Amino acid sequence: MDKHLPPNTIMISPVTRIEGHAKITIMLDDASQVKDAQFHVNEFRGFEKFCEGRYFTEMPAITPRICGICPVSHSVASAKACEMIMGITVPYTGNLLRRMIHLGQHISSHALSFFHLSSPDFILGWDSDPVKRNILGVAEKFPDLARRGIRLRKFGQELSERVTGKKIHIMGIVPGGMSFPLTAENRQALLDWVPEAIETTQMGIDLIKKYHQEHHQEVSTFANFPSMYLGTVGPQGEMELYDGKLRFIEADGTIAADQVDPKFYLDYIAERVIPWSYLKYPYYKPHGYERGFYRVGPLARLNVASKMKTPIAQKEFEQFKAIGQGQPVHGTFYFHYARLIELMQAVEECKTILEDSQVTQSKTQVTGRHNYWEGIGCSEAPRGTLFHHYKTDASGKLVNINLLIATGQNNPAMNRSVLEVAKQYIKGKDIKEGVLNRVEAAIRCYDPCLSCSTHAIGQMPLLIEVRDHQGGLLNAIQRG
Amino acid sequence: MPKISVKIDDKDLEVEVGTTVLDVCRANDIDIPTMCHLKGLVDVGACRLCLVEVEGTSKLLPSCTTKVQANQVIHTQTDKLKKYRRMITELFFAERNHVCSVCIANGNCELQDLGYKVGMENVRFPYLFQNCEVDSSHSKFVMDHNRCIMCTRCVRVCSDVEGAHNWGIMNRGYQVRIIADFNVPWGDSTTCTYCGKCVDVCPTGALWNKDATQGSMQKYPQAVSDLVEKREMKS
Repeated sequence: MDKHLPPNTIMISPVTRIEGHAKITIMLDDASQVKDAQFHVNEFRGFEKFCEGRYFTEMPAITPRICGICPVSHSVASAKACEMIMGITVPYTGNLLRRMIHLGQHISSHALSFFHLSSPDFILGWDSDPVKRNILGVAEKFPDLARRGIRLRKFGQELSERVTGKKIHIMGIVPGGMSFPLTAENRQALLDWVPEAIETTQMGIDLIKKYHQEHHQEVSTFANFPSMYLGTVGPQGEMELYDGKLRFIEADGTIAADQVDPKFYLDYIAERVIPWSYLKYPYYKPHGYERGFYRVGPLARLNVASKMKTPIAQKEFEQFKAIGQGQPVHGTFYFHYARLIELMQAVEECKTILEDSQVTQSKTQVTGRHNYWEGIGCSEAPRGTLFHHYKTDASGKLVNINLLIATGQNNPAMNRSVLEVAKQYIKGKDIKEGVLNRVEAAIRCYDPCLSCSTHAIGQMPLLIEVRDHQGGLLNAIQRG
Repeated sequence: MPKISVKIDDKDLEVEVGTTVLDVCRANDIDIPTMCHLKGLVDVGACRLCLVEVEGTSKLLPSCTTKVQANQVIHTQTDKLKKYRRMITELFFAERNHVCSVCIANGNCELQDLGYKVGMENVRFPYLFQNCEVDSSHSKFVMDHNRCIMCTRCVRVCSDVEGAHNWGIMNRGYQVRIIADFNVPWGDSTTCTYCGKCVDVCPTGALWNKDATQGSMQKYPQAVSDLVEKREMKS
């Protein structure tokens, strides 16, 4: 129990079934109605500071350690920044392998997010026993689905392991390309796995669509608020997960900026420090802090995209677009659907890459030297657009580092989502555990990646207190 | 060469006079960990990992610089020695900033291998977290003082094999540092020949080629040993 908690405040700490450590504070007014909500990220990593003084080519090996879920996205963004400093271009096969490993990470991360972390809410129920509301509970009731979900995640990791020998924190994505080639044997093993991966992803899509049908009211109103969106697109506006140009859209769907080279990101994005969290508040610079908050990630990528790159994903994409009826889909719950459509494109695109005759070529890397003093790299991490920006001295040592992480860009939106859900479900001081799970679920929609810690099982202790304006304890719920 | 008898770890051995304990052990498959020793370089007994117990002597002796004497009884694998070897390894890790996961040498590091070998599961000493520089002024190589364990292989190979005398040692104790020339940035050195021998013999990620990346970096200390051997055969 926190005696220093302000009166009329509900605190959810820690937030469970997300990657990292966070807590939520909900402030009530004198009439016990939700007044405000804050999403705190209470851990500090400091990578931007302690990487100063390192040689720039070390960054693709250092920055993946930011996170155990999306290390490849950091490696890719970092390697691209280094390549800009060197002024070199990655060979075709090196790029293919990087793309495939990056897609593999999307597959494993999205499978983890949906099947392990979020599906227990849909399958077992929001108000089901919290002790069993996890992947083990799903495995008990639906063993085939749980097994398939776990195997899909494994397939994503296998795409890394078959090239680099490691599933997580791989070594091999380096400035100039890839250190390791793909063997013909590994290529065939991965190709053989693709049909099962497509089938499982389709099962996930069917599951979420069924839930949409059965809970239409809840799904369509769950943290539904307009915002801008940012995502990466190809030359024809197709959704891109690895490399492309930036597109910002307004809340009504009109394009605010298109085909923006990521190296000009600072012309479009600014950040502000807020007092209650270690995460900064980024915003769309031309609109200013008050009006410029935007979202990134699966929902954003599908909202900004004109089309998908692969046939099955395109079919689902058309159904997704129909939800918005010509407008962007703002409902936070649709993150899950968007994530699964992306997952489908990732699996299908991996198949295309593996079928490319040049994927097993041995020329995967070029070398270069320190030629320019500044480099910017960008990739679409599972949770959204990621930027690495390095400045060096004359000898190549880093003097300034800016890492703009996807979850950071969703910070204002997560805060807003918590507020919306809290307003919708919390009425007065009598709060049930299932309601608090819904508040957490608003955060879980964004699948935030707050650090390299993972808490997949969701058994962490959680304490919520409701206090009156004198600080007196009105209600307390504890779990774990 | 005349031969003498010694007993090492209960093995009776006939060895040539003038041979070091370490060489005898290596020739007879007796495993002793080392860091500063490298075949072809003059031994200095700096790392203390190869200490052995010699009956009749109260002190532990470094096997790389101790020559066998007739009828000596030597122990190389006692509990006391194993305890000290692990302690020394822990002190290496505690002295500077060895973060294997992000080090360029991860997977290709003699210090990392040593940690596994002596069963180092944790470091019991407080880390010093020294503020060490990364010197990337050289056009081909990087010197990262964070990863240096002061084995001085680089100093010895540069002076004894290459003959350039680029590397030297400055200060004492925990402030000791490897320096180029009279403590200038490596890139400003007037003696470096760009041969890369120091990089090849460095056992950790302290010296590395700028083209190298984690996972792909390979070092070739054996190349220097072979070079010295060939020169000796020629002469």
